[in-house]
Amino acid sequence: MNMKMQDIIQVLIITGLISLCANFVPQIAKTGSLMEAFNKGTVEAIPGMLILIALAAVSMWLARVLPGGLPGAAYVVTLGCILTYPGMPGSAYISAATAKVGFLQLCTPLLAYAGIAIAKDLDVFAQSSWRILLVSAVVFVGTYLGSAIIAQVILKSIGII
Amino acid sequence: MKLHLIVVALVMAAEFIGNISINLGIGKIVLLPMMYALIMGTLTCPRFLKITGEKEIMGASSLLGVILMLLMARYGTLVGPTLPKILASSPALILQEFGNLGTILIGIPLAVFLGLKREAIGAAHSVAREPNVALIGERYGLDGAEGRGVMGVYIAGTVIGTIFFGIMASIFAASGLFHPIALAMAAGVGSASMMTAAVGSLAAMYPDMAKDLAAYGAASNMLSGLDGLYMSVCLALPMSEWLYKKVYRLKYGVEAPPSEAAQAKENN
Repeated sequence: MNMKMQDIIQVLIITGLISLCANFVPQIAKTGSLMEAFNKGTVEAIPGMLILIALAAVSMWLARVLPGGLPGAAYVVTLGCILTYPGMPGSAYISAATAKVGFLQLCTPLLAYAGIAIAKDLDVFAQSSWRILLVSAVVFVGTYLGSAIIAQVILKSIGII
Repeated sequence: MKLHLIVVALVMAAEFIGNISINLGIGKIVLLPMMYALIMGTLTCPRFLKITGEKEIMGASSLLGVILMLLMARYGTLVGPTLPKILASSPALILQEFGNLGTILIGIPLAVFLGLKREAIGAAHSVAREPNVALIGERYGLDGAEGRGVMGVYIAGTVIGTIFFGIMASIFAASGLFHPIALAMAAGVGSASMMTAAVGSLAAMYPDMAKDLAAYGAASNMLSGLDGLYMSVCLALPMSEWLYKKVYRLKYGVEAPPSEAAQAKENN
């Protein structure tokens, strides 16, 4: 992970563009016209996407220059959180602009890249025994269910849900 | 460049297919474009369609960290506006890490019953994401039995975990037993893409709550990254060791042999 900042920004811009393309597809069904979908889904989402790219780039830079060895992901979530915290100057604008970027449409490119990268692990996966697969499935279901039960009980008892 | 063009094609194809709802009787589950993108991406590999080669695979895997940052930035801006509400839920966010311990109680006996030896400890002590793999590697070495166990679940999680979490969240939501917020929060236990698939499925089922669901999932995911490892070190791993020894004696009638790592230490 020693990419140049320049390369990082380039990758962020490319992914941002792909995500903006994805962003207008669901709008077609909603608005009924291609032009309007392009306007709502892509053109209106550009400022938000630029903010996200800037946040990501700044955070990766911070992860490099600041001591402590925290990953960039920790900085980017914190920064995004602070900038959109109710009452922060400009928070309403940033929040509204980034809200135009559908988070599901942001995930689609990520998982497309992830799908391509999976090929690396496919051979090992094909060799894993059915025992490990069964244990994996139980571990995933068990952990998810366990956490959901605890979350449900506590959220209910403190009156959030 | 070829890599990015393939991704554009995959993404557009996936988005044009759109959400697919399947009625299960008890309720409907939702399949999302991100899931098709993942599956189609895997299908392009040299093993199947041979569209991508070694170069694209390595390229994609080295770019993933950067691309994830964009999604994390979006999560940050989702969490910010709901932060007051999320802070009010912090007891639930912290305590739900204990949900993992129930897994050990079922997972370790099952693994030993299936004939796994010390692999069981690596496999069933956690959902085996990167920090857990690192922990087992440090404690026992990744080439030992425990390492094989944790790597097995890690690989399974990488290859099928995302889709698995998405569909699982959908099924639990359809069951009507849980509030969507509780399910979104629980989604944080896995990797970022597992959480995203689970939260995405929930958001598609409850569009009015989409923002809150994503914010809770993302907050829980971040927190799991911080306290999940402490949980593993202090509770999950010792508990797995203890339960393994009990179950081993029950099944084989003799004391469980110590780990290869511990044996090596004794021989020195």
